[in-house]
Amino acid sequence: MIYKVITKSEFKKFINGLIKENQTFGPRQVDEDINGKPIYQFREVHSFDEMDLDYTVTYSSVKNFFLPFREILSRYTFQGDDWEQSLEYRVNPRVIVGLRPCDINGLAILDKIFIKGAFPSPYYLARRNNTFLIGMDHEPLEDCFCESLNHHVVRHGFNLFCSDLGDRYYLSIDSSKAFNFLKNVETTEPTKKDNEKFIARKNFIERSFKTRVEVTGLPSFLDIEFKSPIWKKWGDKCLNCGTCAMVCPTCYCYGIEESIDVSLKTSRKERFQYSCNIVDFAEVAGGHNFRPLREDRLKYRFYHHYRGFAENAEEPICVGCNRCGRACLAGINPRDVINDLRLESKDELPAT
Amino acid sequence: MNYRLLKQDINLKPFMTMPPQFNRKTIVMRTDKVYKCEIINIVELTGLEKLFHLKILDPVEREIFSFRPGQFIMLEVPGFGEVPISVSSSSNNREFIELCIRKSGRTTNMLHRAKKGAKVGIRGPFGTSFPMEEMAGNNVLLIAGGLGLAPLRAPLYWVIERRDEYRDVAVLYGTKEPEQMLFTYQYEEWEKVNHVKLLTIVEKADKDWKGRTGLITELFEEINIDPDNTYVIVCGPPVMFKFVCNHLDSLGIPMNRMFVSLERRMHCGMGKCCRCMVGSTFTCVDGPVFDYWSVLNLQEAI
Amino acid sequence: MKYLGIETEKVRIGVFDFTGCEGCELQLANKEGTLVSFLDLLEVVNFREISSERGDNYDVALVEGAISRDNEIERLKQIREKAKVLVAIGSCACFGGVNYLKNRFSMENVVNEVYGEHKVETRRVQSIGEVVKVDLEIPGCPVSKEEVERIVVDLVTGADIKFPKYPVCIECRQKLNTCVFDLGKICLGPITRAGCGAVCPSSKVGCLGCRGPAEDANYDSFRQIALDHGFTAPRIEEKLKFFNALGAALQK
Repeated sequence: MIYKVITKSEFKKFINGLIKENQTFGPRQVDEDINGKPIYQFREVHSFDEMDLDYTVTYSSVKNFFLPFREILSRYTFQGDDWEQSLEYRVNPRVIVGLRPCDINGLAILDKIFIKGAFPSPYYLARRNNTFLIGMDHEPLEDCFCESLNHHVVRHGFNLFCSDLGDRYYLSIDSSKAFNFLKNVETTEPTKKDNEKFIARKNFIERSFKTRVEVTGLPSFLDIEFKSPIWKKWGDKCLNCGTCAMVCPTCYCYGIEESIDVSLKTSRKERFQYSCNIVDFAEVAGGHNFRPLREDRLKYRFYHHYRGFAENAEEPICVGCNRCGRACLAGINPRDVINDLRLESKDELPAT
Repeated sequence: MNYRLLKQDINLKPFMTMPPQFNRKTIVMRTDKVYKCEIINIVELTGLEKLFHLKILDPVEREIFSFRPGQFIMLEVPGFGEVPISVSSSSNNREFIELCIRKSGRTTNMLHRAKKGAKVGIRGPFGTSFPMEEMAGNNVLLIAGGLGLAPLRAPLYWVIERRDEYRDVAVLYGTKEPEQMLFTYQYEEWEKVNHVKLLTIVEKADKDWKGRTGLITELFEEINIDPDNTYVIVCGPPVMFKFVCNHLDSLGIPMNRMFVSLERRMHCGMGKCCRCMVGSTFTCVDGPVFDYWSVLNLQEAI
Repeated sequence: MKYLGIETEKVRIGVFDFTGCEGCELQLANKEGTLVSFLDLLEVVNFREISSERGDNYDVALVEGAISRDNEIERLKQIREKAKVLVAIGSCACFGGVNYLKNRFSMENVVNEVYGEHKVETRRVQSIGEVVKVDLEIPGCPVSKEEVERIVVDLVTGADIKFPKYPVCIECRQKLNTCVFDLGKICLGPITRAGCGAVCPSSKVGCLGCRGPAEDANYDSFRQIALDHGFTAPRIEEKLKFFNALGAALQK
């Protein structure tokens, strides 16, 4: 990793340069909620000033830039008594500015599944290869718990990462592209004092977390608590609406759907982002549902998130951003559910 | 001043022009490219099930495609969907594959209306297979309930084609009603030519049924099982394999010599979509063939 | 589909309206981009809004609107007799829709209030399914043209027809909308069947449940959430009953 320091005014020039040449997305305020709190999303931007880089956190994660909610996997063209299949992996290069560590770490987890695992996905790979990521650190919100999962710091998976030093950014450069682009503006080598400030900033962020979730030993714990009554308690609240999975940076479960065009000349096979909370997620041909109850489905999402499957076996795929907790109308959030489970198992132990 | 990102077009990479090789899980390939097949024959088995013979049209793709007993493929009916189907034919047959398909949803209903000569697509093979080589020198017991005979036909072919390598081979097969029995036209051949002991039973007899009536577990009374030298493959509804495996367990057959094939609704076949998860295990990648010990370790399998 | 050796046949349709705004019918004639291909799949035998043809040799009858007068019952029964497949389109036909609000009052009051001295005969509003057997319901106020197109393609090709089982929230989150509850309004999205593309919440208007309930909708939790957001119980019930789409499900 190469480190540099850039003033905020030079940084603005840098970003405007990128925006001018490439399609760029950044955090923007899209609404204000009833309590006057701003709501942010990643949207396309046309100048630096359109972005709100002092934003807290976006409502949805950047996941959908890499795993679009709906994406065409292949098309079929019908001709006479035959058909032809066509596949494309075309993505135009783009820049996303202002990702939080949780977003970047979420992508690192998806990379494991979609690039490094069995059957690497060419769709995901094309999107990942063509996206230039600029990350930014931030002071945690009241309910962020990424520190509990060690996802408050980023190691890899970005092109450029900016740590806020007040009037300047301390840049971590993790790609040659970023290194070359930075030649367009004025940067300096970090001084000893910059390094100290950078470390102080990191420590300050680490100390600022107010929410902790105990995840040690959670995988085996979840196996043991598979039949816990706690699942029913939370399952009764759950709307099974899939909101949590849509805003989550790592929820990747999906479904496949095919549809024929009204002209009857072409059809497309689409992947659509789904959620294990949805009623028919585990339904099989003939109508049998392997997870008929709300609690089964809610449990399943937690099971996947904190137990981890296949490429991520035994490690949580949750990054601790609490987007699901914030978005859930029923007030279901990882902290409370996990604490509940842990408390419940304590109650079962004989008093000492 | 240059800020332009260069396009990294993976369409142009060499692997994007080659036919996918689903046996090589770790390479990047066109994971959704299908091998185009022609339905060269359709055999009506029961009112609900038909056997389709599929021939891969492209000779290069036909050469690449090879499967092991127990593996499944994703069958694509363009415009109507894709479904996981286990291969029912001999893995030695490199000319065409046989798929036994029940009419039970949007895609399979459409397929059942298809005529000979229709063109469909397949991707695969996917999943784990039965350890046929390990079974050599032993007795092989195949136990199937209902549609479960379809996936067992591939290991049965394997054994029949190498009959000398295996000792006693028996098939226990049960269905609800006599008319649901699959592959009845092959029973005589299996018994007389291939020396396979075949015992059938139905839960509810009709007036023409002259065989046994009852549950599949009742067939155990009619055969001698040597727990030290027997491998078992079980396929059928979850309730059935639970009872069957419990019984075999009590006979002393080691759990790692009992194999089951689990059924779930895969959407991708590649360990991505999570639709076929059982506990924390992908049925499509880590299964569908599991030994009984692994099944016991899977939450929500039974 | 020819590649399967299956011939597709045009569907002979008749479109009929009862008590309703005819918005769903208009929707059928909407979406210029695909209208020509859409009409190519059909042989329109009877469709007042787009053609002067008045035949009765239709296979599929699309019925819009609810039943609110005696003479409508007779006409509907005749359509049922002729049609092989009767499809209720729109929330009025499927559930009674907005018209159903009338049933809260006595018919006498209703007639006086609306028509004053020029009295007309009227009756308690019923959905199409309450009067005759319905083979397929396409809900929505109005129906979504995309969904109708998909269903017509399925009818023509003979494929099974499928509706989403999940609630509107999924589609709403996928549009990156701000949750309508966060904006201080009540929204039935969490319990309503998706398929509309979350049109209402996308315009910051709470979902009113025109498409009926999502499968396994959690009404208890929804009521509690609405109460927690400061909405009164009568206000919540009022919303739930708006189209009689969820109301009908609540009574079941």
